[in-house]
Amino acid sequence: MFRMASQPRHNWQQLAAEYGFHFHTMYGEPYWDESAYYQFTLPQIEQDIEDPSAELHQMCLHVVDKVVNSEALLTQCQIPQQHWDLVATSWREKQPSLYSRLDLVYDGQSPAKLLENNADTPTSLYETGFWQWLWLENLVDAGKIARHADQFNSLQEKLVYRFEQLRQQYGYQRIHFSCCEDSVEDRGTVQYLQDCASAAGIDAPFLFIEEIGLSDTGYFTDLDDQAITHAFKLYPWEFMLREEFGDAISAADVGWLEPAWKSVLSNKALLPLLWQEFTNHPNLLPAFFETDKNRASGGQWIKKPLFSREGANISLLNDDDSPTTLSEGPYGEEGFILQQYHPLPRYGEQYVLIGSWLIDDLPAGISIREDRSLITQDLSRYLPHIIL
Amino acid sequence: MSHSQKRSKSIHLHQLRKAFALKPLAVGVAGIMLSACGGSREQSNIYVTPEDCQQDNPEATGQCLAAYESALQEHNRTAPKFNSQNDCEYEFGNDRCQYVQSSSGSFFMPFMAGYMVSQLLQPRPYYSQPLYTSFSPYSPFRSRWVTSNGYVFDGDIRRRSYNAPSSVFEKKPTVNRTIKRGGFGSSVRAKSSWGSSGSKSKGWGG
Repeated sequence: MFRMASQPRHNWQQLAAEYGFHFHTMYGEPYWDESAYYQFTLPQIEQDIEDPSAELHQMCLHVVDKVVNSEALLTQCQIPQQHWDLVATSWREKQPSLYSRLDLVYDGQSPAKLLENNADTPTSLYETGFWQWLWLENLVDAGKIARHADQFNSLQEKLVYRFEQLRQQYGYQRIHFSCCEDSVEDRGTVQYLQDCASAAGIDAPFLFIEEIGLSDTGYFTDLDDQAITHAFKLYPWEFMLREEFGDAISAADVGWLEPAWKSVLSNKALLPLLWQEFTNHPNLLPAFFETDKNRASGGQWIKKPLFSREGANISLLNDDDSPTTLSEGPYGEEGFILQQYHPLPRYGEQYVLIGSWLIDDLPAGISIREDRSLITQDLSRYLPHIIL
Repeated sequence: MSHSQKRSKSIHLHQLRKAFALKPLAVGVAGIMLSACGGSREQSNIYVTPEDCQQDNPEATGQCLAAYESALQEHNRTAPKFNSQNDCEYEFGNDRCQYVQSSSGSFFMPFMAGYMVSQLLQPRPYYSQPLYTSFSPYSPFRSRWVTSNGYVFDGDIRRRSYNAPSSVFEKKPTVNRTIKRGGFGSSVRAKSSWGSSGSKSKGWGG
C-alpha cells in the first residue's frame, strides 16, 4: 500500500460538470483530490479487505438476528419500543437491502479493523462507483498508468444487478428516491442511485424527504398524491422513527431501502455487541457500552454516541479515564459506547480511512478518504486507488 | 486468487452524462411517462408522422391522429428549452430547433422528431409521448431516440419498436387525498441548527 503523487487530468473539472459531479469542492475546500492515489497489491485487496468485509457483514447480520429477538437488546440499541415490531418484522420477512459501507483502519500489513458500519445511509457512492472508475480509465488511456492496473470497484455493475434483482424478485417496479433538502452531496448520491435503478428498468422518480405526504388512507404520497409503495431514503432510520410520521410507517406498508432492520446496524451499539459475540476477532476492536461495569480499563478509548454523524461528539479517554474532546456536536442523549483507540495509518501528513462497500452481502469496492486530522470528518478528501 | 477484473467491466457513459447539460431553461419533469398506463412491458412503437402510424394500423387511423396530437401537446409543454439557438443546436444539430414565444418568455426548443405509442389497439387508454433525436456530433443521443426528460433508448434511430421500460405498477393503494406533508425531516432542522456551521446545511448520509 503506497501513496503515489499523480498529475491531475487537465480537464477533470470540465468532465465533472459534464457528468453532473457537482460536489467535488465543498464549503470552499477540495473534496475530490487526484493529486495522488493509493496503490494496493491484489493480495492486500482480496485477503485483507474483500474477504474480511464479507465476513464482518455476516457477523453484523448475526447481531441483528440476536437483537430483534431480545427486548433487552432492542432497549440497549435505543430502538423506540413502539417500533420494535416494525424492525423485527422487516428482519423476519427478510426485506431486501441494497448497500452498506464498512469503515476500516488498514495500513497494508496488519489486519483491517472495523471502525464503524455505515449500513443505513452511506455516501461517497458516486465518487467510488463511477468517478474514480472514470479517472482510472482516463489515466490508462493517457498512458500514465499501466494498462494492467486494476481497481477494487465493481460497485456500479453490482448496483445495477441488485436493482434488477429487486425489480424481478421483489417487485420493485417503481422506487421513489428521496433525501433531505439543501444538500448537493446527498442529492448527487441519490441521483446516481436513480441512474443505476433506471438502467435496471426501474421507474425512479425523486422527491425530498420533507415533501413526503400522508394520505387519508394511511399511505405515504408523492407530490402527485400517488401512493409510495417502494422508497429509497438517504435519511437515517433513527430520525424517521422519532419524527411525526414515525408512527405511520408501519401501516404505510412501504418497501424501504434500506429496510428497517438496518436501524440495528447503523447504531454504534453494534460495536460492543459484535465484540461480545466475536471477542478477539482479528478484524474487531474491543468495544463496550459506557455503562458496562465489566468493561476493560486502561489504555486509550474513543467514546462515541450511539447515534452520530460525520464524526461528531467524539472524545478520547486517556489511561486515567480523563476525557479529551475531539469533536463537538448535537448528539449523545441516547448514550455512548467506548471503542479501543486505534490510530489511522499515516502517509506523509495524511491519515487514511478505507471505506469498504458491499452491495447486499457482496464486497464491491473501496473508497479512500484522507484527512490532516486524526478523526475523519466530513471535510476529508476523497482519493482514487489502483491495484498493481 | 482470482484473475478476474476487480472493477466494473464497462460503464455506459452516455447513461451517466446528464442530458441537456447545456443550461436548458427547464426540462420536463413529468416523470418517465412510459409507465403512465401500466401494462407489462408491452411493445411500444415509434412513428414519425400520423400517416406512418396509420399505415401500420389501418384499423386505427383515428387513434393514430389523436395520439400524434396529444404527443404534440405534450411536446409543447415539456420539450427541453434553451436560451440560445446555439445551445439548442449544440445538443440537437443545425436547423433542428424552433424559436418559440409564449406567455412565459421566448426560447428555443428542438422539433418533435417522432412519437411513441403503446397499447394503441387496446380498449384501455393508449399512451403516447413526444420523442427527439439529435444530429449533433456533440450529443450523447445522436441518432438515438430520447424523451423530453432525457431518457435515451438503447439502439439506433432506425429501430422503431421497443419493449419500453414501462413500470407495471402493482395494484396501487387507494389514495383520495394527502392530508399532511412535512412529517419527515424535522430532525435535520433540529440537528443542523447546532453550532456555527448550522447554515452549511450538510447532508445526512455518512
